[in-house]
Amino acid sequence: MGASPGSDRIISQPVTASVRILVAGAAAAERDRLGTRAALARLGPAARIEVEADPLRAAERCRIGPVDLVVAEHSRSASAHRLLEILGGAGPPVVVVCPGGDAEALEAFRLGAADCVVPGRASPLAEVALEQLGRWRRRRERASLQELQRDLLQKEKMASIGQLAAGVAHEINNPIGFVHANLAQMAEYVSDLRRVWLSVEALQKATASGDGEAARRAAGELATASDEVDVAFVLADLAKAIRESMEGSERVRHIVQDLKEFSRRDSGEAADADVNACLESTLQIVWPMMKHLVTLEKRYAELPPVRCYPMLLKQVLLNLLVNAHQAIEERVGDGNGTGRIRLETRREGAQVVIAVCDDGVGIRPEHRERIFDPFFTTKRVGAGTGLGLSISYQIIERHGGTLTARSEPEAGTTFEVRLPLAPAG
Amino acid sequence: MTPGGGGPLVLLVDDEEHILSALRRSLRREGYQIVTAGSGAEALRILEERPVAAVVSDHKMPGMDGLALLARVARRWPAAARLMLTGWPGDLSRGELEGVGVAALLEKPWDDAELKSALRRALGDAV
Repeated sequence: MGASPGSDRIISQPVTASVRILVAGAAAAERDRLGTRAALARLGPAARIEVEADPLRAAERCRIGPVDLVVAEHSRSASAHRLLEILGGAGPPVVVVCPGGDAEALEAFRLGAADCVVPGRASPLAEVALEQLGRWRRRRERASLQELQRDLLQKEKMASIGQLAAGVAHEINNPIGFVHANLAQMAEYVSDLRRVWLSVEALQKATASGDGEAARRAAGELATASDEVDVAFVLADLAKAIRESMEGSERVRHIVQDLKEFSRRDSGEAADADVNACLESTLQIVWPMMKHLVTLEKRYAELPPVRCYPMLLKQVLLNLLVNAHQAIEERVGDGNGTGRIRLETRREGAQVVIAVCDDGVGIRPEHRERIFDPFFTTKRVGAGTGLGLSISYQIIERHGGTLTARSEPEAGTTFEVRLPLAPAG
Repeated sequence: MTPGGGGPLVLLVDDEEHILSALRRSLRREGYQIVTAGSGAEALRILEERPVAAVVSDHKMPGMDGLALLARVARRWPAAARLMLTGWPGDLSRGELEGVGVAALLEKPWDDAELKSALRRALGDAV
């Protein structure tokens, strides 16, 4: 509670940036008996004061417009407690003026008031308001900074996915190719079978009519049709074509689902994750792009579950895999050569280590200091944002772990992610 | 169609088994003998042993790619017609294709009628 004396002195730092203060309750409705509005007026002209006596309407205004502070004067007819209940802790801070004293103030605090002022106790309402406005501004700045970081994280993720687009298109094109051709052939099979069926119907009709000659003729036509169509083959191959097409469409569905899962905007929930499984599911996404250029070696150790944000960890792994692939691409050039990527997981004491080793072009010594710097990139325009490693570094740091690189020019690079088994905090 | 159930021998090459199986279906009524290979190396083994009249090959395959395969075919079995069937025809330059004497460049997913007529034309030229 603000308790320093001297409510009449001019406050040292008037509000400079424009803010909106909503005065609710009795002070809004009646004559400014307790001097609430007068005290707020001392904040200077940048503080725009609005009034709304009814708690419900006041809460509504907080929801709609950008209100920076609510000052509610409690009275029986205009309950500040009621307003706090409606707001339920959401929105801007609420400072409650409590003419009834401590009991009212305690109840207001219980309901989520940011601060309370008891009139007549030399309570500097203006200063309390100023402090709350400052806190609110800082909170909003932090939130918008976090939002900016989330945006950046998402942009970098989408850019990594962009690097994969050609591989993904290739992986989808093949199944679409055979499903497409199979459908055309299946339509032909159906019309073949229809031709046989029409002959069966004709034979049934001729048999029913009792005309022996017509029946013999129809039987002959059925035999010819079955022969030409090769019913046994068509039935068997139709079943095979359906099976293969289903497998193809399942493959496409799977690829799209992986991508959808990966491009989700949120960072997901913290979970006890199987690091090997995270690595495998990330590999699923990048493998189509790499498989023509890369031989893969996996050395996974059995690991205990690691408390982490699996979505973020996968983003780091994707980034490391895409980098490894690009490093190999750069070394191999247009030639017919290939490269190797080794994926290794192991436990070292209270840490889990994930290593991604490539035999690509390597990192030049003069670049080693800078690889984790934001926007530092040696990739050609469009091949990277220059944010991948810096964001990866931040993500691993946020997990209480480390991300390090070892590299030999022309011999390859190893990135190591170390995650604590029991993260701090 | 060639009588006697023989028909020209057509070799289909793709690392994707289901593509081979779909191509076989597309060409079912064309009267060819069809043989398939899952890689360039396997295709070369077949070419050593059998009188292949035409090779229809994918381009992007692990190991030897389609262009490298067709270049070898052009040198050792110049009489065999060479067709390229790829998802990314734009990846191949006109020069590269002319270098190996490709009779037709077809795009995946393919159109059955286009595939059939390209193969007929190529075999007409080759035979």
